[in-house]
Amino acid sequence: MEGKYNLKSPAVKRLMKEAAELRDPTEHYHAQPLEDNLFEWHFSVRGPPDSDFDGGIYHGRIVLPPEYPMKPPSIILLTPNGRFEIGKKICLSISGHHPETWQPSWSIRTALIAIIGFMPTKGEGAIGSLDYTPEERKALAKKSQDFCCEMCGCSMRTALLELTPNSERQPVDPQAQQLAQQISFKAESSTSSSTSGSKETASVSQTGQQETSSTPEDSEGTAQAEQADSVSESASTPAAPTSRSLSPRQRRAQNRNQNQNQPQRRPTYPAFPAAAQQDGSHTGSAVLIVLLTLALAALVFRRIYLAQDYKFDYEL
Amino acid sequence: MADEEQQQEGMSQKELDGLNCLAYDEAIIAQQDRIQQEIATSIPLVSEQQDLAILKKEYAEDDTIYQQKIRDLQKKYSFIRKTRPDGNCFYRAFGFAYLESLLDDSKELHRFKAIAAKSKLDLVSQGFTEFTIEDFHNTFMDLIEVCDKQPSVTELLNSFNEQSVSDYLVVYLRLVTSGYLQREDEFFQYFIEGGRTVREFCQQEVEPMSKESDHIHIIALAQALSVCILVEYMDRGEGGTVNHHIFPEDGEPKVFLLYRPGHYDILYK
Repeated sequence: MEGKYNLKSPAVKRLMKEAAELRDPTEHYHAQPLEDNLFEWHFSVRGPPDSDFDGGIYHGRIVLPPEYPMKPPSIILLTPNGRFEIGKKICLSISGHHPETWQPSWSIRTALIAIIGFMPTKGEGAIGSLDYTPEERKALAKKSQDFCCEMCGCSMRTALLELTPNSERQPVDPQAQQLAQQISFKAESSTSSSTSGSKETASVSQTGQQETSSTPEDSEGTAQAEQADSVSESASTPAAPTSRSLSPRQRRAQNRNQNQNQPQRRPTYPAFPAAAQQDGSHTGSAVLIVLLTLALAALVFRRIYLAQDYKFDYEL
Repeated sequence: MADEEQQQEGMSQKELDGLNCLAYDEAIIAQQDRIQQEIATSIPLVSEQQDLAILKKEYAEDDTIYQQKIRDLQKKYSFIRKTRPDGNCFYRAFGFAYLESLLDDSKELHRFKAIAAKSKLDLVSQGFTEFTIEDFHNTFMDLIEVCDKQPSVTELLNSFNEQSVSDYLVVYLRLVTSGYLQREDEFFQYFIEGGRTVREFCQQEVEPMSKESDHIHIIALAQALSVCILVEYMDRGEGGTVNHHIFPEDGEPKVFLLYRPGHYDILYK
């Protein structure tokens, strides 16, 4: 690999060093660059003990930007786990979605420890996050051992060192927890500060919000407005108000959506980053307005039905 | 029917969440990148030395407060060197101004070399990971070595305008600042707003790139490297004169900076 890269490049120098540092698997994590690309790594992490992920070993990709370590790595999980969506960049402030809080003195190891520490925390609607039930997560943890990565040929059964009674839990846990706490804290402050930075987007979504909240006395309309608002604050609150104001049945319906409708939802995403790149926030805001309007239409539609005094059979 | 509809609603909400978050992130990042690129193409990281009189053009002629203060500043200083306003200007201005002063002061240079070499050991003993900070430290030491060979100012200026070198120096100065704040956290704790610990403050406001600097950062860096910094404060305040602060107060300043709200440039007598 040495011959292929410019060793004077700071990123190459740093990544070589990190590759050497992480060469041997530990009980808790392992990561190495792909054979033909120093800027793409594959990693395996052990699910934290005392959590729903106990016994699971999870595999994923790390994509390093050419400016690394000045810009953060992107982390993408490949093993279904019930906490992070697979195949999608994870929304931690440590990864690419909040570059302003990444610190150049952090490393790939820091990112791995953060992932481990972050697994048992609540997803709460953050991008790339899932809130599966403990049972589902436990089942996925068990299944994760069978995962074999086609790209790097890594099998989860042999990816990490076996846990021994002596080594158990010690090397990573306190550090991981501390880091995860610090990172979730940062996610809040970083997003709120960046909101003020883009007045364009903020003002557009505010108009959307006003429209939504003008729906008379609709508790869900307000919840939604709140949500639109709190998305800007942080990823850590939005789920709370909705799940409280929804009936169990509504929640079930939503859960089902979470679980089943992902493939249908996905096609809407790619349009976005592309739009944002092409014409920044203008195209982005336009799409946002259209979506908010659609949501509003759905609400009005529902109200009309409720107002008609129709009786519905709620039994499934 | 209702169920189907609810489902639809649930989906659109969930979708909105995701899209909002993604839209914000992507749009903000794209916009910040654009702004940064625009700034990057128009302003070098560290500029050539310019006559202080150019400041007058930056303010309206009838902006009496600033025009008066610029005249006051001209009594003490003759030249200015501007830095790119990218949130790292304090560190970059300090780094350049100080290393430039070392070009013809070999005694100070040797004193500083020892302090700079030791600074990494302090950080490592505080728990900073050695292999992640050593590249930054090496860049810092290399720049000091370069000064030892007494190059022309232009050579030093070229190094400072090379993004990777310049940014690595900024990272290291941020680490030194953070390390000092955390070593003296009992003292600095009282100056931190928002109920944060010194450690949290460092991780949010000191170590990440592009976070702007305040008094507390300047005090810490000046003390950590034993280099005295004088800052002239020029804002819209009354009085017609420019006030200055010296960090630490009893020192003999080696570095002279001009502060205008949100930005630092380098001043020369």
